[in-house]
Amino acid sequence: MTTTTRQGAQETVAASAWNLTKTYGQGDAQVHALRGIDFDLPRGRFTAIMGPSGSGKSTLMHCLAGLDQPSGGTVTVAGTDLGSLDDDALTIFRREHIGFVFQSFNLLPMLTAGENIVLPLELGGRRIDDAARERARMLADTLGVADRLGHRPAELSGGQQQRVAIARALITEPDLLFADEPTGNLDSTTSAEVLDHLRRSARELGQTVVMVTHERDAATYADYVVTMQDGRIA
Amino acid sequence: MRTVFLASLRTHIRRYVAAAIAVAVAVAFVVVVGVLTSGARSGLMDGLGAPYRDADYVVSAAGWPSSELDPKAAIAFAERHGENAAATGRATLPARANGRRLPSETTVGPIATSAEWRWQELSSGRFPARTGEAVADVYFALAEHIAVGDRVRIGEGAAARDVRVVGLVESPSPPAQAAMYVTWPQLLQWRDHLHLSAVAVRGEVGQLPEGAKAQSPEGFAAERLTYVQNRVDSLSVMLLLFAGIALFVAVLVIANTFSILFAQRLRDFALLRCIGATRRQVVRSVRREAAVVGVLASLTGTLVGVGLGYGLIALINTLTPTALMGAAELPTPWLLGGFAVGLVVTMVASWLPARRVVRVSPLAALRPDAAVDVHTATGLVRLALAAILLVTGPALLGVAMVQGSTALMVAGGGSVFAGVLLFGPVLVPHLVWITGALLGPAGRLATKNAVRNPRRTATTTASLLVGVTLTTAVLTGMATWRSALDEQIGRDHPIDVALTSPERPVTTDLLDRVRHTPGVERAIPVDGAVARVAGLDKPIPVVTAPAAEHVARDGGAFARVEPGKIGIDSEAFGKDLSLRPGDRVTVRVGDRRAQLQVAVGTGWGPVGVVAPETLATLTDAPEPHAIWIRASSGADPARLGGDLDKLADPVGATIENGLRTWESLDQQLEIYTWSALGLLGIAVVIALIGIANTLGLSVLERAREHAMLRALGLTRRQLRRMLATEAVLLSVVATLLGTVIGVGFAWVGYETLVTRALSDATMRVPWLSLGVVVLIAALAGLLAAVLPARRAARVTPAAGLSLD
Ligand SMILES: Nc1ncnc2c1ncn2[C@@H]1O[C@H](COP(=O)(O)OP(=O)(O)O)[C@@H](O)[C@H]1O
Ligand SMILES: [Mg+2]
Repeated sequence: MTTTTRQGAQETVAASAWNLTKTYGQGDAQVHALRGIDFDLPRGRFTAIMGPSGSGKSTLMHCLAGLDQPSGGTVTVAGTDLGSLDDDALTIFRREHIGFVFQSFNLLPMLTAGENIVLPLELGGRRIDDAARERARMLADTLGVADRLGHRPAELSGGQQQRVAIARALITEPDLLFADEPTGNLDSTTSAEVLDHLRRSARELGQTVVMVTHERDAATYADYVVTMQDGRIA
Repeated sequence: MRTVFLASLRTHIRRYVAAAIAVAVAVAFVVVVGVLTSGARSGLMDGLGAPYRDADYVVSAAGWPSSELDPKAAIAFAERHGENAAATGRATLPARANGRRLPSETTVGPIATSAEWRWQELSSGRFPARTGEAVADVYFALAEHIAVGDRVRIGEGAAARDVRVVGLVESPSPPAQAAMYVTWPQLLQWRDHLHLSAVAVRGEVGQLPEGAKAQSPEGFAAERLTYVQNRVDSLSVMLLLFAGIALFVAVLVIANTFSILFAQRLRDFALLRCIGATRRQVVRSVRREAAVVGVLASLTGTLVGVGLGYGLIALINTLTPTALMGAAELPTPWLLGGFAVGLVVTMVASWLPARRVVRVSPLAALRPDAAVDVHTATGLVRLALAAILLVTGPALLGVAMVQGSTALMVAGGGSVFAGVLLFGPVLVPHLVWITGALLGPAGRLATKNAVRNPRRTATTTASLLVGVTLTTAVLTGMATWRSALDEQIGRDHPIDVALTSPERPVTTDLLDRVRHTPGVERAIPVDGAVARVAGLDKPIPVVTAPAAEHVARDGGAFARVEPGKIGIDSEAFGKDLSLRPGDRVTVRVGDRRAQLQVAVGTGWGPVGVVAPETLATLTDAPEPHAIWIRASSGADPARLGGDLDKLADPVGATIENGLRTWESLDQQLEIYTWSALGLLGIAVVIALIGIANTLGLSVLERAREHAMLRALGLTRRQLRRMLATEAVLLSVVATLLGTVIGVGFAWVGYETLVTRALSDATMRVPWLSLGVVVLIAALAGLLAAVLPARRAARVTPAAGLSLD
């Protein structure tokens, strides 16, 4: 699937937004979180979406990832117009094409790290076969959490939890990996490790990565930086 | 702290709704019992006084209830006052109607011919005006299939009288109630059987009979009420027992709610402590929150209970006009009691969780990313206590079974159950694991969710466990009791219907017609000869029935009489039977005779049963003198009796109908079982509200997790199914555990009580009913998950992720 889209018309574009708007609330309480965003995400690169708090970064990411419906405009990911999908189709699309790393509450507390990593496969109803287990092991190895697979999230440090989350996001070989403030809860050393892993997955595996952050330091790891200001790309 | 209290009340009150409903239902239960008791009491008072409403005095036994009026003196006293007196009382007489001997306790009472003294209310036909006419109580008529126009023969021998039923009446006064009513002069024809409870007098009382006292009608009614009242009160106590069970379940539900909500808010509390709130302030705030919930829930419960109670009284009065339900006055003590119980229960339930809140350290608020760890360890003290109870409980039960001690049985059962509840946080998750494993990988997430907080899981299932344990115990106990009774009845009434022809032999034509009567499954001719038995005034057929096993409910055991003995049906011959078991009597057929020893039993009619050898010594040519009939299941006893009587009467044969006894006992057991189940149902409903509640609160708690799962590709339907599976797992585990304990309790009860009362009873496990219980529990679990699952699935992943 990845090879066919790579050779298609939008060879260098993994996802694009056109005239994207998002409005919350009504009347006086109305907030324009996105005020018309046009933008293309380059494939196989590490893109950072930067901007101050409240500028609409998370909202943009949610719309790009099919987690939320935009108020207007279109989002295309891997050649699919997300607006044309209903909730179930969108869910299955996410399952197959998109991976996520969040700021916190990334892992299910009652599952072990290993179980968390293969969870997306299980949700898709796939059997956890040796190949899947091997891939999980390899990812965990790359991310340096191979010796932690039997532990519960509560027994892992914040940095380890985020690395497990990255492994989980990569297990389905997604077209797009989204990370929303993945280092928000981490100290600078562990942040550096996590960011390095994201960058390597773009450089070495050709993975498209989109990271939302408000930290300038974090953005320096990215190939491209998109800056947002008050719901617009600055 | 005031603003904090009000704000948290505003924010969280909606999360208490389910738990508050649980408490309100239990409180309403208590209040409904109160209103019904009050209604029944006032109804009794009205009805009881009805026969005496126009009297100036009521004369009754001075030493009542330990002594009664001397019948002769009382009758003479009533006679002396003539039109100015009306007696209440009854004669207990044998009676026959529609070819059936009516149950031996057919009571006959007086009905006045003048309207002032008449207290019975006509429901159809007319009142009797003269001797030879009678009215029947509507319920008696219904039960015995008596209709206006029927002839009933009351009394025996010389005292037997035929009366025609001219009407049906309702009789509101229990102490004066009788099955049939006839005019005073007619009743005096059985004056030897007549016992008067009271004589109502207008004007002067005059000379009282010995041992009698005169009271005002009100005084008399109040005195009798205390007696009837005991029955109402014991019924109320029974109902309160069920209300208590419901309350207990409600306590579990609301206690669970408090611990879940307080655990979810632990960080808030820690933050409050950080910024300077003292422990006392924090605790007082949550206690006040519990008080508000308790007051609102109890108030709602009380109001609903009052409404429901009066509604039920109105309903009962419309459905059954003779029901003794009066206009209930507001039972204030019950209302206050119900309200107080609800409030206290809520406060008590919040006590432990609130103490845990106190122990929160202010530091908890400062810990980064404290995805509040709601996991609670199972305390050692708790486990030790559970162990002690689980050891002593079965020991007590064992002793109870050996000694037949009810007290020990209750104590042992109580401690076993308490032990199981305390052990729950360890036991229940394991059971959930095992059950969940059967679901395969599909149920894995649900299983893990169900066991992630053992104590919460245990409390949630405990509430359902209570109801299910009692339900299965009742079902099993009733099934066992019923099979024991079936055996006993089989022994007492081996033959459903016996047709006996004492003079002429029965013809094959008659046998054919009996066999073709609807409701007859099998009929066998019984051979014998007419004999004179010393000690009986009339000749009876002496028969032998080797084929009795084909129709008898006891497998024919009653008919296998040893040679040299004769089996006599003591019931068929009634009170006048002078023969006693073991007596030696001479039996003569023509000029042959035999000395036989009397054995007594019941249920085969007025014939003597002997061994084939014995009969052979008495006659060479036995002829059929009886037909024994096995009714098909579901046959209407009255119809069958009537039909057979029509065949028997023209040829001078009589009918003994044993089928009645079966039917009424069956009905009675059915009523007991369903009442118990219905009342337990309320506790089960509360428990299900509890499951929905726990699930609902857990869904709020896991909103971020669900959002993340949705982001990772869990569809709405998968999410709903996951939550439904969790609920079903909880309810099925509770049900299976409850079924095992309930059947165990029933077995102990059987060994302790039933085997002593009915020596050869065997334990019956009603597998089908128990299967239905498990199925219903699973469906109910599914139902409990509907609302929480829908709410969880509605949240979009993005909204869930930005939740805090
Ligand atoms: N669910 C919501 N309801 C109302 N307003 C929202 C909601 N989510 C975000 N917003 C508003 O939209 C704007 C953009 O928010 P967000 O995308 O989270 O910003 P960022 O991630 O850049 O901090 C903010 O002003 C925020 O208050
Ligand atoms: Mg954000």
